[in-house]
Amino acid sequence: MKKIIFISISALLLASCTTQKPLYSWGKYEITSYNYLKNSDEKSTQELIETYQKIIKKQKGSRGIVPPGIYADYGFVLLQANKTEEGKALLLKEVALYPESKIFIDRILKIIEK
Amino acid sequence: MKNKLILTVIAVAFLSSCTTTAPIAKSIAYKGMYYEKPLTVLLMPPINRSTNVEAKEYFHSTLNIPIANAGFYVIPTFLSMEILKKESAYDAELFLNSPLNKFGEVFGADLAVFTIIHKWDKSGLAAKVYVEVEYIIKSIKTNEILYTRKGDVTYNTSVSTGAGGIAGLVADIALSAINTAATKYVDVARACNAYTFKDLPAGKYSPIYGTDGAQLAGKKEFKARLNSKYR
Repeated sequence: MKKIIFISISALLLASCTTQKPLYSWGKYEITSYNYLKNSDEKSTQELIETYQKIIKKQKGSRGIVPPGIYADYGFVLLQANKTEEGKALLLKEVALYPESKIFIDRILKIIEK
Repeated sequence: MKNKLILTVIAVAFLSSCTTTAPIAKSIAYKGMYYEKPLTVLLMPPINRSTNVEAKEYFHSTLNIPIANAGFYVIPTFLSMEILKKESAYDAELFLNSPLNKFGEVFGADLAVFTIIHKWDKSGLAAKVYVEVEYIIKSIKTNEILYTRKGDVTYNTSVSTGAGGIAGLVADIALSAINTAATKYVDVARACNAYTFKDLPAGKYSPIYGTDGAQLAGKKEFKARLNSKYR
C-alpha cells in the first residue's frame, strides 16, 4: 500500500516537471529572421521564405495551426519583393486566422495603396 | 517511520528539482496579467546598452517564439518594425517611461514588451558569453508594469548545437553555412528569452489559460548558466 502511494506521488511530481508539446513549431525561424533583419539580401530573403513555407505546411505544434504573425510577415516580405498580390493575399489570411491583427494589417494595406 | 522519512526526502528532492526558491504564485507575482487578460503583444525593439552592437538583433529575432508559445498573439516582427519606423517610434528608450496608449490605437496591442540588454560580453578563451538582460512587460492601457525579470546569464557556447557526435558536427557545419557566429549568438539570446519567459502566465491560445495562476513565479532577479541544450 505504501509502495502504491509512493509511486503515485513520485509519478505526480515527475509529471508536473515534464514539458508539454509547444503550441507551435517554428523550424529555423530565429536564425533566418536574424539573417534577413541583418542583410535583407536575396539569399536571406529566400531562406526566410523557405522557413515560412515549412512552418505553414509542416506545422507540428499542439494547436495544429499556423502561429501568430507567420502569414503576415511572409506576406510583408513578399510585398517588399514587389509580389504585391501574393503578399496581400497572405496578409488577409492572417486576419482570417487571427482577427485581432485586422487593425494593423489594414494600416499596412493603406500604406501599400498610397 | 523509516519509510515515511525516505518518502518525504524523495518528494522534497523531486519538488526542489523543478521549483525556484521564490515561492510566490504567478497569480500574485503577475496579478495584472490575470486581471487584464491581455491577448495582443507588441515587441518593442530591444534597447541595447551593452558594448556589442549586434546584441539588439540577436534579441529582436528571438523574442516572439516564447511569447507566442505561451499563448499570446505577438504582432509580427517585420510588420511592427515597419510601422514603428513610419511612426518615428523605433527608439524604444523614448517610451520606457511615457504613455503607451498610441500603440493601442495603432496596433490594437494590449502589452508592450521592453527588453534592455545591459551587458553582452564574450570571453574568448572560455567560450562563454555573459549577458545581463532585463525584461519589462507593460500594460498599454494603464502603463503599469505587469511582468518584469532581470537575468544574469552565463552561456557556454562550447556545447554543440546539434544531435551530437560526428553526425551532429556535420549537421552543425551544414546548418552554419549560413553563419556560424550568428547562429551561436542568436542561440544565446534565444536561451535567455526561453529561460526567462518560462514563467510567463499563459495567454488565451494556451490550453492552460486562466488555470496556471497557482504555478510558482520565478525569481525577479536571477542567475542562470545556460547552453544550446536549454530549450
